Amino acid sequence: MTSTSKNAAGRVDARRARLSRWLDPDETTLAVLLLAPAAILLSVMIVYPVGRLIYTSFLDLSLTSGLPARFAGLANFQQMLDDPVFWQATWNTILITLITVPGALLVGLGLALLANLPFQMRWPVRLSLLIPWALPLAFAGLIFAWFFHSEYGVVNDVLNRIGLPGVIWFNSPRLAFAAICLAIIWKASSFMAMIILAGLQTIPRSLYEAADVDGAGRVRQFFEITLPLLKPTIVVALIFRTITALQTFDIPYMMTGGGPGTATATLAMYIHQNTVSFLDLGYGSALAVVMFGLSMCVTALYLRMIRGSESAS
Amino acid sequence: MNLERISRIAGLLLGFGAFAFATGACAETTLKIFVTSQGQPGIWRTVLDQYEARNPGVKVAIELGGATSDLQAQYLNTVLTAKDSSLDVLMLDVIRPAQFAAAGWTSPIASENMSSYLRAYAEANTVDGKVVALPAFADSMFLYYRKDLLDKYGLQPPTTWDELAAAAKKIADGEQNPSLQGLSFQGKAIEGAVCTFLVPYWSQGKVVVKDGKFDFDREAAAKSLALWKNFADSGVAKKNIAEVATDDTRKEFQAGNVVFAVNWAYAWAMTQGADSAVVGKVGVARLPAVTGGEQATCLGGWEWGVSAFSKHQEEAKKLVEYLSSPEVSKIMAIKGSLLPTYGKLYKDADVIKAVPWFADAQPIVETAKPRPVTPRYNEVSEAIRTTVNAVLAGVTTPADGAAQIEARLKRILR
Repeated sequence: MTSTSKNAAGRVDARRARLSRWLDPDETTLAVLLLAPAAILLSVMIVYPVGRLIYTSFLDLSLTSGLPARFAGLANFQQMLDDPVFWQATWNTILITLITVPGALLVGLGLALLANLPFQMRWPVRLSLLIPWALPLAFAGLIFAWFFHSEYGVVNDVLNRIGLPGVIWFNSPRLAFAAICLAIIWKASSFMAMIILAGLQTIPRSLYEAADVDGAGRVRQFFEITLPLLKPTIVVALIFRTITALQTFDIPYMMTGGGPGTATATLAMYIHQNTVSFLDLGYGSALAVVMFGLSMCVTALYLRMIRGSESAS
Repeated sequence: MNLERISRIAGLLLGFGAFAFATGACAETTLKIFVTSQGQPGIWRTVLDQYEARNPGVKVAIELGGATSDLQAQYLNTVLTAKDSSLDVLMLDVIRPAQFAAAGWTSPIASENMSSYLRAYAEANTVDGKVVALPAFADSMFLYYRKDLLDKYGLQPPTTWDELAAAAKKIADGEQNPSLQGLSFQGKAIEGAVCTFLVPYWSQGKVVVKDGKFDFDREAAAKSLALWKNFADSGVAKKNIAEVATDDTRKEFQAGNVVFAVNWAYAWAMTQGADSAVVGKVGVARLPAVTGGEQATCLGGWEWGVSAFSKHQEEAKKLVEYLSSPEVSKIMAIKGSLLPTYGKLYKDADVIKAVPWFADAQPIVETAKPRPVTPRYNEVSEAIRTTVNAVLAGVTTPADGAAQIEARLKRILR
């Protein structure tokens, strides 16, 4: 062999080695490469906006003041402490969550059980389950606003027909709140029902047949078979539902606009008002940070619950 | 490559693109104007058609805004904070030019002599000596009344709110019609409710801002809120008045279900329209005073501004000058019963033939009071209207409501 051919072979080897390093990278490089797209996407879509939001929450930044942004420390959060509307909106948001999440779960469970019955014609039932969920939230809010209108609403019309006096629903904080909760439950229970229906169909029929043989009644079957096997499905549905309940905006916005006064305003509505209407981006961001914190707490709680139930089983 | 260089190149490319687009589109410019949906866009369209016919190469497209002044402002806030160039000309409620100019959202209009307009509008559209918008039409709140019913019971249009309550009672007792309301006004938490509060407050000789300083009279405020609440409690106004927005007042009056209504000038054309139950039965008067006070009303009206982000500044300004001209003001007065922004048109024979009560309207508009002028007007408005709404719904007492308004305004207007 001549030295030139040796050199040429060496070059080919080097090229091959480089190629194989690309085609067959070591474990760490591979991991980085595979995770990169997701990591980049997450940082652009989530980490950056959330970071920016937290940063803005420490600024005194209002577009109506004509002044440039100024670092304000915790001033925005301090302002929240003695802002009665903030406390009212936060309390309303928590109350809506506490009422409508279990409410939608119960109604949704009932609907799912009904839809799961051995019907001849299943599709009309399923379709009618789907419709409230497919309807835009603002539509649902508008529909219920008309339902509860004191003069033209169907609810007062029905009350009058059965001999009861009509009620001015949106004049009373409690009644207005009740009407909003009802609308949210109607809207949310179809989502619950669909997820639970999917869960129901994974439960094998043989379990019920065996229970029949053993002489267990319908009620017993529900509590001993259906409910335990549905638990994972229900937890997932609850997580989704709770987080959207904490962000409630459209339905009260369309139904009462937060009225009477500010009695039915939610945190999301208050954030919207401060940022979009008042253009006070600093305070609006601080409010949003609080809501973000609230959602994180609830999510952490549920995750802990799931982990607890997993280790128990 | 650093970020600045990248952005400069991107800017250049964009610039070339825009230039190429502009030269390509030179033959035809399309201006987009934002019009309130309550502002009778159909009639503005006829005026715009005329403009298009006279200016070949310019097309004007209308974009309709939401149903209330607040919804439109929310929409414009999002469009303009994003520096969106899709809107060229904006129809703005009289309370907004100052705010929009402070935010840098409208372009100043250079060569305009404001002295021919009514003084209130020359002032509302001039900020720090610069003309920031031009008047579209004038307006103020009036008392609409059922002339036929007042005549039937031998009554004169009331000059105080107490007289109005007594007149409403007399008519209600005589008519025995449960669907007939004595008085309709705006109790919903909308922009109109700000005027609802201010009218009796001003009538007591009080102001909100004096010499640039916050100057609030809590007792007068409580009295104003109590006045409206008493109308609802005593059955002069309907019980769900907290649900009533401006156009609800107009519809119910037009259907013949209301004796007295507080409303803007636009309602006139519709009460005399084809589907009105009260054609020829309507009178319009100055709003009453609180007993012992002076008659006061709220200055309204809408303005035309040019978006600072419009790519057609010159064309847009030209269009705005046309839209605020005496010619257009006269057409809108005759066809849309929108009050003219020029004093001379109040004596114009054609205008008075179409809308007879305009003959007496000029002094009312000229003495109407403007709502507080501040870049933070949205917060002022919110503080007042939610409280009016809460008081009328019975959630808050007038005294507490007045204290709440004072506390919130003090923080905003300090």
